[in-house]
Amino acid sequence: MPDWQKLVRQRLSGLALDAPDKEEVHAELAVHLEETYETLLREGMLEPDAIHRALSLANDWQNLQRRIQIAKTKENIMNDRVKQFWFPSLLTLLLTMGLLMLIQLFGPNPAIIGLHDRNGWSLILPVSVVYLPWLLALPLIGALGAFLSYRSGGSQRAVFSSILFPVLPYLVFFLIGLPMIIILNHHIAHNIMFSALFVGFFGWVLAPGAALLAGGQLAKIFLSRRLDSRRIASN
Amino acid sequence: MIGAGIKRGTAELAVLSILEEGPLHGYEMARRIEEQTKGALRFTLAALYPMLYRMEQRGWIRGNWETSGNGRRRRCYRLTPAGKKKLSPLRKEWAELFSALRQLGKVANA
Repeated sequence: MPDWQKLVRQRLSGLALDAPDKEEVHAELAVHLEETYETLLREGMLEPDAIHRALSLANDWQNLQRRIQIAKTKENIMNDRVKQFWFPSLLTLLLTMGLLMLIQLFGPNPAIIGLHDRNGWSLILPVSVVYLPWLLALPLIGALGAFLSYRSGGSQRAVFSSILFPVLPYLVFFLIGLPMIIILNHHIAHNIMFSALFVGFFGWVLAPGAALLAGGQLAKIFLSRRLDSRRIASN
Repeated sequence: MIGAGIKRGTAELAVLSILEEGPLHGYEMARRIEEQTKGALRFTLAALYPMLYRMEQRGWIRGNWETSGNGRRRRCYRLTPAGKKKLSPLRKEWAELFSALRQLGKVANA
């Protein structure tokens, strides 16, 4: 009779679990194979065939190892919703905001443009110097969000939400802010220019949203094609 | 033959249902499910054990090592109170799905 423990240990040698956990898994699977083997022998199968048939229960040992690893470890730390939505979303939000801050702190420091207006000189920093590099980096962040969500088995909705999550706070601000301004505009001393609000909406919601989505969608297409080609290869 | 996607969904229900009858080890669980479903639900190691470990992590089942009459040590799984609680809504969900599919069949055959 084969040493089933040894056979399982050899095939699942890469299982990255604590030693007692690993031993338990090896022992449990070995018992399963041994029982299968003994049943097949009782049914009249020849020994080599019974061994082959019992081992074929695992089908793909690499896949079995990976699935046990995931079941034994990741489930502890994060449930599916956290893995597929909250973690990628909060990471993209953090990176988007952090990047903007970093560009402001360490980015190019151009000469400040002086403008002469009715009240005298006012000094402004050209917005594009900070804004454009940030906007150009957003597709990468969108791609990262899509990758993390998609890899964890996120649905289309979870992947889409993870990509666009960084612009949601701004969207909410404008959705609440715009109607309020329309209502209150005549009651406040300084009228707010609607055009400025729409520029803000474009600059903080539409353009970053499009940039994030462009990167995220590309990543998603790339990942799904890779997955399809792997499936075809494994078939 | 039942397709892979549906099998995945029903596997947890099958395991919880079979454990409701009493504690069982992995091999016996797979054998009984296969027997009772007339071979429609058949588990490979990669389908059964990761699922058992996941269900154990969720607290639906609990595994303990036990020694049988012939001296063989096996890990026996029992349904926990959380698992029993999970079983009835799961059964209800699947019953609703099957009833809906039956209705659909009636409409298609009408």
